[in-house]
Amino acid sequence: MKVLMVDKEKCTGCHQCELWCGTEIASASREMAVAIHERPQPVPRVYVEGKPFALQCRHCESAPCLDACPNGTMRRDPETGLIYVNEPTCIACWMCVMVCPFGIINPSSSLKVAVKCDRCRSMGYPICAEICPTGALSVVERKDYRKKKF
Amino acid sequence: MQYVIIGGSAAAISAVESIRSLDREARIDLFSDEETPLFSRVLLPYYVAEELSKPLLNFRTADFFDENRVTAHMGVKVTDLDPKKKTVRTEEGKEYAFDKLLLATGGKAIVPPIPGVDKEGISTLKTMADAERIYNMKGSRAVVIGAGSIGVESCISLTRRGIKATLLEQLGQVMPTVFDAEGAAIVRQRIEDLGIEVFTGEKAVRFTGDRHVAGVVTDNRELPCDMVVLAVGVRPSAELAVQAGLTLGDMKGVRVDETMMTGARDIYAAGDVAETMDIARNTWFLNAIWPCAFEQGRIAGLNMAGQQTLYPGSYRRNSIGNFIGIPAISMGVTQAESCAMASAEDEFREIRVRTKDSYKKLVLRNGKIVGAILVGQTQKAGLMSMLLKKQVYVADCIPLLMSDRLGFMDLLPILRRNADRFSEPEYKELMDTGL
Repeated sequence: MKVLMVDKEKCTGCHQCELWCGTEIASASREMAVAIHERPQPVPRVYVEGKPFALQCRHCESAPCLDACPNGTMRRDPETGLIYVNEPTCIACWMCVMVCPFGIINPSSSLKVAVKCDRCRSMGYPICAEICPTGALSVVERKDYRKKKF
Repeated sequence: MQYVIIGGSAAAISAVESIRSLDREARIDLFSDEETPLFSRVLLPYYVAEELSKPLLNFRTADFFDENRVTAHMGVKVTDLDPKKKTVRTEEGKEYAFDKLLLATGGKAIVPPIPGVDKEGISTLKTMADAERIYNMKGSRAVVIGAGSIGVESCISLTRRGIKATLLEQLGQVMPTVFDAEGAAIVRQRIEDLGIEVFTGEKAVRFTGDRHVAGVVTDNRELPCDMVVLAVGVRPSAELAVQAGLTLGDMKGVRVDETMMTGARDIYAAGDVAETMDIARNTWFLNAIWPCAFEQGRIAGLNMAGQQTLYPGSYRRNSIGNFIGIPAISMGVTQAESCAMASAEDEFREIRVRTKDSYKKLVLRNGKIVGAILVGQTQKAGLMSMLLKKQVYVADCIPLLMSDRLGFMDLLPILRRNADRFSEPEYKELMDTGL
């Protein structure tokens, strides 16, 4: 399956990905100037962390959130392997939040749904990679670590 | 290959999915004593609260059994299990042979032996029939006995429907197995703010009323009521395991090895019926929670279908979601004292940070996380869950772990020095970034 990788040499920590994710994906207006004033405030699905590094859902091979979700709201797309929240059925129990090893599921109490990156599955290409000014984010094939290195 | 699965909830369905990921052909017979298939027990309080209708309680779509070519026997009780002949017999006397069997019979709600407990208007909340019974109860006042997760959620659910509810707990705090005293105090305040009366350290001694319950007498007072929900806990439904002569543990759950196999060859157990090795407690324990059932079902299914997979162990995890207005998550042990099996050399440490509207606590044993409580700010709870599960040394990173600004990428140094325990690709690819 494919994963979103970040080139640490190129990521400057400018937070553009957060801004655009919040606008394009999370806001009602999809206009940055308007989105900034929206209530509840749009919640981005990518977090610029640490040194810096734009972190989003890793779409784990064995995903704890899929095990923890008590009503099948957390689902895996059988074709792409991407894990997404089926928002209409989310009951805000935060079991997925409790087990996400990356801490990237946002328990949005105002929206009453778990908010996480689905790598813009309905758009086909993630907005964060699209707009990153330095081209630090890209979608690549996940490395197969099971292969022996000799 | 012929699979038989006894049970129809989380562990059973998870096992079906993992068997089918390896074996599309073999026959799978699933027996459940519930008439309603594929509903999520965790959601029953939401049904009582009138927030979810019946179809929305399902955790898999109605065509799940067809899609996965499972012959589902709903409302059918299996009464005999013969581990030598490798057969099961149902109540109606039909016999089915198996090559691999999964015992996922779950748990039963405990009915405390309080005088008058058999009166009308008193119910546990475990099965679909229970939920319907409680939903249809008439009256304006309820008493919920037991302030665990189900008790608290039931109480709030009834309150949301305009019923005046009272919560009664015989121990000194609400959610005694989930929170420590400080966390419980926050939760209690929230419950009381919803208009619920809470009495802790108080025991129900008798139910009044003729045929129908009219009140609960405690050691301090009498609480008049029209209905009672019993939520004092669950115990494993292990009758079939006992009949088959399987090994039970001290807590009366079915003992399983790392492949989820019971003492009898080709018979596996998973979910609330199984007694597993608890990572946090470092002893055998019953962790009757949804995520454990699902994980165990998956591991059992993979092993049943021939792919050897080891279960790292269970640990308690609870989230009370949106019921009390703020998120609150707890995992592992709630305090050092609850590690009953600790040896004299074990060194415990508790770290707490309390702000106006949040509370965070870690419990460490020998420098490794064995418990965590997060109230208010919970988004990073999963990081604690991951560190607990992997049992890595973190005592030198406490300021980082307690910081509000903690993110996964900050933990990479911890992962790197324990690289052998983080072999999953999602961890490796982030370690590979060199950050």
